[in-house]
Amino acid sequence: MKVSLSWLNDYIPIDKESYSNIADSLTMVGLEVDSVTDRYDYLDSVVVGRILNIKTHPNAEKLKVCDVDIGSRVIRIVCGAPNIYEDMVAPTALQGTRFPEGYVLKKGRIRNELSEGMLCSEAELGLGTDRSGVMILDQKQLTGNKLAKTLELSDMVFEIDLTPNRPDCLSIIGLAREIAALQQTTIKYPETLLSDSGDKISDLTSITIKAPDLCPRYSARLVFDINIAPSPFWLQDRLMSVGLRPINNIVDITNFVLMETGQPLHAFDFDRLSDHRIVVRQAKKGETFITLDKKKHLLTPDMLMICDGEKPVALAGIMGGHNSEVTESTTRVLIESAYFTPVGIRKTSKKLGISSESSHRFERGVDPGGIITALNRAAQLMSELDGSSLIKGIIDKYSKINNTGPITLNVEHTNRLLGISFDQDKIENLLKSIEFNVEKTGNDELAVVPPSFRVDIARPVDLMEEIARLSGYNNIPSTYPLIPAEARHPEKQLRLKNRVKRIMTGFGFTETINYSFINKLSCDRLRLESADQKRNMVDILNPLTEEQAVMRTSLIPGLLETIRRNIAQQIKSLRLFEVGKSYIGREKDNLPEEIEMLAGILTGSRTNASWYSKESDCNFFDIKGAVEGLLNRVKIDPIKFTCMPDNLCTYTRPGHTAQILQEKKLIGLAGEIHPQVLRNFDLKQAAFIFELDLKAISDLIPLTIRSKQIPKFPSISRDITIIINKDLESSKLSETIRKSGEKLIENLYLFDVFEGNTIPQNKKSISMRITYRSKHKTLEDDEVNYIHKNITDRLLKEFDALLPA
Amino acid sequence: MEKVEKTIEQIYEEAFKEIKFATDSESIKALSIRYLGRKGIITNFLRNISNLPPEKRPEVGKRVNEVKKSLDKAFKHALKRLETKPSQKDYRIDVSLPGRTIQQGSLHPITQITWQICEILEKIGFDIAEGPEVETDHYNFEALNIPKNHPARDMQDTFYISDNIVLRTHTSSIQVRIMEKLTPPVRVIAPGKVYRCDSDLTHTPMFHQVEGLMVDEGISFGDLKGILTTFIHHMFDEKTTLRFRPSFFPFTEPSAEVDILCVMCRGKGCRVCSHTGWLEVIGAGMVHPAVFENVGYDTTRYTGLAFGMGVERIAMLKYGIDDIRKFFENDSRFLRQF
Ligand SMILES: [Zn+2]
Repeated sequence: MKVSLSWLNDYIPIDKESYSNIADSLTMVGLEVDSVTDRYDYLDSVVVGRILNIKTHPNAEKLKVCDVDIGSRVIRIVCGAPNIYEDMVAPTALQGTRFPEGYVLKKGRIRNELSEGMLCSEAELGLGTDRSGVMILDQKQLTGNKLAKTLELSDMVFEIDLTPNRPDCLSIIGLAREIAALQQTTIKYPETLLSDSGDKISDLTSITIKAPDLCPRYSARLVFDINIAPSPFWLQDRLMSVGLRPINNIVDITNFVLMETGQPLHAFDFDRLSDHRIVVRQAKKGETFITLDKKKHLLTPDMLMICDGEKPVALAGIMGGHNSEVTESTTRVLIESAYFTPVGIRKTSKKLGISSESSHRFERGVDPGGIITALNRAAQLMSELDGSSLIKGIIDKYSKINNTGPITLNVEHTNRLLGISFDQDKIENLLKSIEFNVEKTGNDELAVVPPSFRVDIARPVDLMEEIARLSGYNNIPSTYPLIPAEARHPEKQLRLKNRVKRIMTGFGFTETINYSFINKLSCDRLRLESADQKRNMVDILNPLTEEQAVMRTSLIPGLLETIRRNIAQQIKSLRLFEVGKSYIGREKDNLPEEIEMLAGILTGSRTNASWYSKESDCNFFDIKGAVEGLLNRVKIDPIKFTCMPDNLCTYTRPGHTAQILQEKKLIGLAGEIHPQVLRNFDLKQAAFIFELDLKAISDLIPLTIRSKQIPKFPSISRDITIIINKDLESSKLSETIRKSGEKLIENLYLFDVFEGNTIPQNKKSISMRITYRSKHKTLEDDEVNYIHKNITDRLLKEFDALLPA
Repeated sequence: MEKVEKTIEQIYEEAFKEIKFATDSESIKALSIRYLGRKGIITNFLRNISNLPPEKRPEVGKRVNEVKKSLDKAFKHALKRLETKPSQKDYRIDVSLPGRTIQQGSLHPITQITWQICEILEKIGFDIAEGPEVETDHYNFEALNIPKNHPARDMQDTFYISDNIVLRTHTSSIQVRIMEKLTPPVRVIAPGKVYRCDSDLTHTPMFHQVEGLMVDEGISFGDLKGILTTFIHHMFDEKTTLRFRPSFFPFTEPSAEVDILCVMCRGKGCRVCSHTGWLEVIGAGMVHPAVFENVGYDTTRYTGLAFGMGVERIAMLKYGIDDIRKFFENDSRFLRQF
């Protein structure tokens, strides 16, 4: 909403000099002033010039070439105005000037003669209506001075960012009311004195409301004998001051009253209305309508139309029709001033994608009490035009618009909610300052009736906000609540999530946050099979781009995109992770399942080339190590990695992928990205990933930690090397050893794998070290040797294994 | 014979030279083996003594044994010296060589700021709660007093999944879910992702908010001011003054925008604060009675305060980041700075 101080000054005394104080105080009562500019800023490059001499243009009879003194120098201007003379002092626009009519002045040649500026008429400068010749300035004005300064032109314009609850401030008077309250002055409303005569309006036209729910009130007046012409300058000036372009007297008046009062009006060409009457009804199915911007719209029955005797003539409250708009030949108009139901207007406006000054106000709620005032104001202004006459009377059709009764405001409640201690009088005065009707109804109570334009006030709490707002939020003292010293247990998963992030960074992984939405093609890029549940994506109906069209069902596409972007920046070795949700779609109208996941990715080298080591590429065991380290840290045990069946995960490389199991429960996977998937994501280097379900992990984490005794007696270690089938997973050996139930086994680890050379084909040699220890005594060699041999025999038998030669 | 004798003396001399010049214990050990080991020079010499004429043997043998003993002593002595004193080689490591890399990863700046926010508010007494990101129209809008076809819906550009399902546009959606579950007193903060269809230098379609809600008997607007002042003073510093401006949110009444004194220019006016000296960082207010009615709280008994802030906004101010999109490009050169 734009408002100029000059216009405001019509209703309240405005001290032009203190404009920034006014802007600040508006902001502080909730009407945020976004910008303050001088509307005459465009005159910045217009100066006072004096014509030194005038010659005829060599190539054009009607044009003159003038030398103009602009103070600092003399410039040449080609001019066609008939009224110029030597020694004339005139406004001279220099190149770059942007005229109110939209034109930007450039230095150039006119009929082959250089022209460095322009001598301007009043109308061209937006300072009057005269465009017959160059504007004449006082001879005494100094050349080179800026025109705005010379003529003392300055008018500050506020751009106000209004919240949707304050439609009453979508008008100059609305803002004037707020400023009046701030300045503790009174507002002077425009007086409307109507002189209507002649025929009675009811003999000439009629109004029928067939949809009172959508249009509770519709009023109209008629003005005849109109001569369509440019508006008087004061009117044009007002409109221009808030950035509106004048069109003609009738349209300008409706716009003026709209801006002044906030009530949208519409002027129909009365002679273009069939049967000279108005019918307010809902659209018929399949009906079409051409709005005055010449666009054709298909209507639906929920839309409210203003019709004449046979057809729609306006999209109610949104835009007039091409078929009834005021034209140059119009002589008789019907002025509409109505109240349309906000929801109806909003629905239609959204559906058709049309938003106008009018719909903007109707959908927020216009002042039900201001409809006739606005109609009369427009009628008065139109009747003041040369020759026109106002038809006697008014048509005002309405059903009841719900009026809220008085609101009971309790002083103590108000003080308690706000944390203040105002008395009844103070509250009364504050509310009265913005035209609320206030009556004391008890020691501690007030009955408050808000003015009709405050459609946002319905409850006591709304009044409390007004009180807080007007007395200043910053004058309310800061206090602290008295709260019981109690705490709820933090959610387990939330705690885990934060812990996991710390552990991962400790492992050298950097946290990323990728968008929750991804490209729908990601499913194909991941080679997901048609039955894969990751294909149950949640589609966004109105995505910004194809890249962000569906909710992710996996964190992997985002991580792959991220490493691709980094590699493109020559950062080729990356260890990244993300904690975030994947969203698995369910049946329509059900919320998707949101699964909190942890995913990590590794690519490039494990160690960089350095003075102490060679560069080496990371591989599967780096990512596996990270997962093991993490699960170990959160004490989830035992964990098993087994080969992922090839068809179970399509985006990782077959034979290079493990499923991660706790007991029999699948909690995640780790593996190398499938070469085809790498290509699909434009990646040229191997990448290794893991994914873990955080919910599953959170459920597995032991609730408490019990400390164990540190062993008192020494341990004995024995190594074992056996040769087994190459495709046997080594973890089977350790499982068997653990399952042997031997209590003295404290620890076992695999320290060597060897193939080839002396080892037969399709076999591999595995070496493990078993540590034995007793809690109660120092073990004897013989005792350990016996157990160790048993274990060895068991392995040999169970896996058809051999001892090394 | 002469020759042999000479040789043992030569050996003796050379060995001593070598001991003298040895700079570490390792080389002493190696020398010791070279001279006195089983296949060492001296041992060899002794073995070859049988080649001498018998009468010379005892003399030479005696001498060799002397040399052997003396060398043994010398080796032990040298060893002791080199092991107790830092050797020359150890002493002169190039400490300017890069160390063996141990590199921790970094937490995303949004995580770090979210944690900071939560930590301060937890101290004040709030518990943390989370909720779904794909949310029903009911929880995101209706229950928060934002009916369908209300202009307030224009305040947030919403991503729709269906007519009744949206990507939550604010973490305020958790308010209602929490209040449905708990009876007052309620004190929760809800950090999380939110979504709006908007994308430019200062907007990304996904960003993070932290929402706060406190409901009890006697909670006042003054309390809201107190809590947010404490919060801002901890998040920034005590000099960061606050300004409360009336505003509008359908689910709070009164509603406020909270501005802080520009942390870049300290109120003098700069590009970051659009030359106003103030930065809008928090939306807040007293919970609207309509919201309480929707969850069945007694509006005559309870009042509540609520506030919400954008994590990216605060992170940008704290770290001097000028483009919000950087948070989600995940350029490791960006991420590693935090
Ligand atoms: Zn600043």
